[in-house]
Amino acid sequence: MFNIDWWSLGLPLAYVSVLLGSLIIFSSLYRKRKAAASATLAPWFPPHLQRNIYLSLLHLEPEEGKEKAPTVPESVLRAALLRRAVEDIHRIIQVRSAKQACSTLLQRGSVGDDLWQRFLRAEKEMEEELRDVVMEANALSPNWGQTIFQSANEIAANTVFRKRLDEIQAQTTAEKEWWEKKRASIKSDFMKELDGESTTPAKSSANKTGSDEDAILVESGGPAVTDKGTMKKKKGKK
Amino acid sequence: MEDTESFTLLPIRLDPTSKAITSTSNSRALQEELATLNNLHRSLLSIESPVPPPPIPVNPKRSANITKLRESGNTEFRKGKHQEAIKFYGLGLQMALTRPLWEPQGLVRDEVAGLYANRAQAHMAMMNWVEGAVDAEASVEAKRVGNAKAWWRRGRCLLEMGRLEEAKEWVGRGLEMEGNEADLVGLLKEIEERRKRA
Repeated sequence: MFNIDWWSLGLPLAYVSVLLGSLIIFSSLYRKRKAAASATLAPWFPPHLQRNIYLSLLHLEPEEGKEKAPTVPESVLRAALLRRAVEDIHRIIQVRSAKQACSTLLQRGSVGDDLWQRFLRAEKEMEEELRDVVMEANALSPNWGQTIFQSANEIAANTVFRKRLDEIQAQTTAEKEWWEKKRASIKSDFMKELDGESTTPAKSSANKTGSDEDAILVESGGPAVTDKGTMKKKKGKK
Repeated sequence: MEDTESFTLLPIRLDPTSKAITSTSNSRALQEELATLNNLHRSLLSIESPVPPPPIPVNPKRSANITKLRESGNTEFRKGKHQEAIKFYGLGLQMALTRPLWEPQGLVRDEVAGLYANRAQAHMAMMNWVEGAVDAEASVEAKRVGNAKAWWRRGRCLLEMGRLEEAKEWVGRGLEMEGNEADLVGLLKEIEERRKRA
């Protein structure tokens, strides 16, 4: 009876052990994969160039043939730290503006969980980065930590603003060329017009784009139609 | 960003005499960043304190100079010497835009907006529609709300150049910003009339 029990139980026991074993193997493999994936999650931000420069300056290697590394003047370090703070400001703005959008997208299920994980990690890293910059600033100059981000904020905003202004002012040359061309063609059209019907001297008083159009429209002769055609073409050009 | 504990050592070196930082790497981003850094370093050296002062309070000297240049420009403009006025406004702009970067941008925006708007007006008086349009756009960029004059001036310049579609769009945007400003409404009407006739 004893023997028979074991033999008949063998099959279900083997079944259960194989089942459990495969589940355990699957779960451990799955977890390992997941851990590896989260460790290699792509960072939110590209490498922090300014931070690398600052830290590279702190750890400057001695030049060839010399034993001692050159000492970096504090003013250079301060400038480098300020540049780092400016880049941090850009990143904080990005994190803040992305947070709302990210959480909404996550709730709707439009983005995967790993994007959210990446985001949280970036946020945490930024906090640490800010703390680090404040500490470094205080070490370089007493109480600078309180104002460095204020200054950095203004620098960031001012740089963007000036770039925009430069872009606007840079249009001037191209626009001017276009306008000269247009004005020349208006003038030549106008002269043709005059040659065509020299009976109406009143038109010559008009010298602006719009007003010469007025003058033309008054008399619905043939040349006015051709003029209108060229005006349209010019508009299409720009 | 990498780990908070580590960083990438970059191939940079310090020039012992000029204190400028150079790199042997040919990465463009790095070269540009180093140029910006060296510029910032130079401007930091030119101030008395070791670190940039907090944005407020501002050194009043530069503000006074800018105001003076604007006033001189206004006087010349009233006398009808538009070319001179443009020169003064230009100098004022140069002075406002070379303010150290850590000074408050709100202040820069205010000054620049006024100067560009005035210069646009002077250009318009000389029938330089292109320059007038560009300056007015810059003024609006500096100060979007409460700058109806600049909105109107660019609209006017575009109209004078016969760019009716653009003028209409621009004035429409201006009206969104400024509410129902009478001048802008009038200009829009004029543009519409011109469009109908064209």
